[in-house]
Amino acid sequence: MFFRKSIIALTGLFLCIFLIVHLSANSILVLPEETARSLYNSYSTTLRESPLIKIVAYVLYLSIILHVVYALLITINNRKAKAKGYRVNQYKENSSWTSQNMGLLGISILLFIVVHLANFWARIKLGMGEGVGLDANGHVDVYEVTYSLFQNGYYVVFYTLLMVPLGLHLHHGLKSAFMTLGFYHKRGLRTIAKVSLVYAIIMAVGFGVIPSIVFLK
Amino acid sequence: MKVIFKIWRQENAASKGNFESYEVDGLTKDMSFLEALDHLNELLVSINKRVIAYEYDCREGICGQCGVFINGRAHGPHDHMTTCQLHMRSFEDGDTIVVEPWRASAFPIIKDLVVDRSALDNIIEKGGYISAKTGTAPEANAILVGKELADKAMDAAACIGCGACVATCKNSSASLFTAAKINHLNSLPQGKQEASKRVLEMTRQMELEGFGSCTFTGACEVECPEGISILNIAEMNARRTKAKWLG
Repeated sequence: MFFRKSIIALTGLFLCIFLIVHLSANSILVLPEETARSLYNSYSTTLRESPLIKIVAYVLYLSIILHVVYALLITINNRKAKAKGYRVNQYKENSSWTSQNMGLLGISILLFIVVHLANFWARIKLGMGEGVGLDANGHVDVYEVTYSLFQNGYYVVFYTLLMVPLGLHLHHGLKSAFMTLGFYHKRGLRTIAKVSLVYAIIMAVGFGVIPSIVFLK
Repeated sequence: MKVIFKIWRQENAASKGNFESYEVDGLTKDMSFLEALDHLNELLVSINKRVIAYEYDCREGICGQCGVFINGRAHGPHDHMTTCQLHMRSFEDGDTIVVEPWRASAFPIIKDLVVDRSALDNIIEKGGYISAKTGTAPEANAILVGKELADKAMDAAACIGCGACVATCKNSSASLFTAAKINHLNSLPQGKQEASKRVLEMTRQMELEGFGSCTFTGACEVECPEGISILNIAEMNARRTKAKWLG
C-alpha cells in the first residue's frame, strides 16, 4: 500500500506540473481573435511535432491511468478496513469535507477528462468526428475546434463547473502528496499548504474563466 | 438532568447488534460521562436487565481504555480528550446521546461497546521496543540525548494506544499510532540499532492487521487525547522509504 500511495503522490505531482503548462498555453486563448488563432495553432503544431513531447504525452497517459487505478485499489482496501460506518459521524468537526471526499472529487474530474478528451484529443489526434481544417499559416486549426466548442453554452457551463472539484482535489492533493512522500518539515509544510491553496485557486479560476471569455468573443 | 442514551448493543462478535434507547433521569452536570453510564447500568441491574459492557481503567485520561464514539466524535464532542475526561456538562438537558463502539474491521466487537484492540499490540510486537540486556539501570548520562530530541521523542511516546485515530479515520488507518511508536524509538540513540527493521516490520504488520492507508484527512490528530501531530505520519513515510531503499 505504501508503494501504491507513493505512485499516486508522484503521478499527482506530475499532473500538477502538467496543469501549469496546460493553463499557460490556454491563456493564449484570451488574446484577440487573430493573434490567438495563429499563436495557438503554431504552438499546438510545435507540440505535436516534437519527439520529446511525444514521450511526455505517454508519461501523461500513464500517469492518469496509474493515478486512477491505484486510487481505486487503495479505496477498495480502505473501504474493507472500515466495513461498517457510524450511525452518527461529525467528521466535519475534525477534518475538511474535501479531504474526506477525494474519491468523489476524483471521479468528477475523471468524468471531465473523458468529455474533454472526446472534444479535443479524439477529434484532433485520432481524427474522429468532424474533420479539422488548416489556418492561414497551414497549421491544423485547433483554435477553431476550441472556439466552436465554446459557442455551445452547455459546454461552457460544464467546463466551468467541473473546475470546482478540480480545485478542491488539487488543494488537498498537493499538500497531501508531499506528506505521503515523507516531507515532514513543519514550517515547510505550512508553506506548502499555502502554496496548495493559491495553486488550486489559480488552476480552478484560470481554467474556469477561459471558456466564458472564448464564448463572449 | 435527563438524557436519552442511544447505545449500540451487541451480544458478541458474531451477532448482529442494534441501537437501544434508554431514558435516564437523575443525572447531574458534574457527573463524568462514565459515571452517567454507571448510573444507567445500576438502573438496568435494578430491573434485572443485562448491563451495558464498556471499557475503562484509570478514569483520569492516561490509560486509553475508555474509547467509545459519542455523538459522532471519538471520545465525545471535545478535541484532544479521552471519554473519562468528558462530563455531562458538555450536554444539554434532554439531549439524545448516541454511543457507538470503535468501528474498524481490525477491531472486532467483543460485546456492546467493547472492541478487541489486539491488532495494535501485534504491531508493537514487531518492534515497539528496544532489544537490550536488562540489569541494573545504566548511568543516566552514559548516552547523551539533547533536549530538543528528548522532547520530540516524548511527544510521540505520549501515545496511550486508545485507538481513537483508527476509530475516527475514514480508512481505519492505524498510521498515527504506528508512526508515534516508530518515531519515538527511532529518533533516540537507544532505538537506532534496530531502526530500519522496526519501521519496515511495524508498517508491514499494520497492513497485515487490515488497517487502511493514510489519506491525511487530519481527523486523527484532532481526536488524539495526546495531540500527537500528523507530521509523525509523514516522518514515518520518510523513515520507511529510507529503510526500504538505503537499508
